[in-house]
Amino acid sequence: MKKTLFLSIALLATLSASAQKLVSRDTYVHFFSETPVEDIEASLKDGVGLINTETKEFVFQVNIQSFTFEKALMQEHFNENYMESTKYPKGLFKGKITGDVAFSKAGTYTVKLVGTMNIHGKDRPMTIPATITVSKEGLVVLESTFIIKPTDHDVEIPSLVVTKIAKEIEVKVKSTLRAN
Amino acid sequence: MSAWAQDDLLAELDAIAPPAPKAYAFATFKGTRIINQQSVELPAAGVGQFVIGHRFGALNDKPLYNLFGLDVAQIRFEYSYSPVKWLNFGAGRSSGSKTYDGFAKVRFTRQSSGPGFNWPVTTAYYTNATIVTTPFADGFDHFFTDRMAYTHQWLVARKMNEALSLQVAPTLVHFNLVQTPAESNDQWGVALGGRYKLTQRMALTADYLLRINPVDQTHNPLSIGIDIETGGHVFQFHLTNARSMADPQWMMQTPGDWTKGDIFLGFNITRVFTHKAPDFR
Repeated sequence: MKKTLFLSIALLATLSASAQKLVSRDTYVHFFSETPVEDIEASLKDGVGLINTETKEFVFQVNIQSFTFEKALMQEHFNENYMESTKYPKGLFKGKITGDVAFSKAGTYTVKLVGTMNIHGKDRPMTIPATITVSKEGLVVLESTFIIKPTDHDVEIPSLVVTKIAKEIEVKVKSTLRAN
Repeated sequence: MSAWAQDDLLAELDAIAPPAPKAYAFATFKGTRIINQQSVELPAAGVGQFVIGHRFGALNDKPLYNLFGLDVAQIRFEYSYSPVKWLNFGAGRSSGSKTYDGFAKVRFTRQSSGPGFNWPVTTAYYTNATIVTTPFADGFDHFFTDRMAYTHQWLVARKMNEALSLQVAPTLVHFNLVQTPAESNDQWGVALGGRYKLTQRMALTADYLLRINPVDQTHNPLSIGIDIETGGHVFQFHLTNARSMADPQWMMQTPGDWTKGDIFLGFNITRVFTHKAPDFR
């Protein structure tokens, strides 16, 4: 009897502990740079994310070299000349979710992600809008569209290609998170 | 439990994040050639590459009259395609001796860093078969195969750091026909090459072929240049004592001598075309 009680308490503790964390290993990130001269876009599907449902803190991280472009040469230049991804291999956004969201209750919630965006080794405070959809099965989908400015992160764009790379780059994120 | 700090969250993320993938050295060289010498670089999978090469007249041949050789140019063009990331093949035509060639490059190892075993170098095998189509002037009957020569190179390169890359390549050129009995049909050498990045888009380059059993009255080819990258193109400008661009000729049959001023201004322009794009949306 004592043993059973102990086991069920342990099990309960594990359950409630794991229910605090939502995890994604297949976060999709897409960016789009639009100019009259050239459109550039790339995406990745292996971003990782973590949300603490109790404190509403979050962390999202991508490997810069995971971004796949239409043109291999663009991808090489992106990594070698602009993002310097050998030196700065990761992009990171961490912070806290503000606004009403109940991760245990099905529904769609409009929230703000307030945090620090680290790209190209350079921190930048950012607040971005997002929607969080909680399904009946407890699946949590976070979607967001926001703008990144290369200049905000000290990404140098030489005058030769200044007409080909947008000053504001649209980023779309879709992250499906599950209880870990 | 509610006192979860963000740094803990970050540590937890590291725990769930897949282990850092192997980082492969990329852009060891800007071009698939260093100058005359092939580099370990291949166009990406699904990408075709067009290269135009020019070698102008000698700088010591009536330089003002010929505008430093610009009035007399040799030209090469080639197209190649990579069906997969480790294989590239193509064909070209060089105006020197009106030479046609077919070539292939196969990459075997990639320099990498990260978990597990890492190769310290990128290696590739390069081979080229040429057909010279100018008429024979010796009055003898010839087989078609007399026109052919074959080049084999084992390319070994290392990106030492972001700026400096070095390459060494044992080289064999087999000539089906040689001019004199003293000449060997199999001519050997060791090709050396390197690049040093000056800025993100500009690099100094050099290549040299040290020949083991050279033919008389020919010289080791030495080229020095700069690579300039402008988005879709790579421009390679250089000075070289080798005017021919077909491999057996620039490697083993270079009459020009740097010390006598037999120097040729030249350039290669590279343009890539994506035939098959990866899933990028």
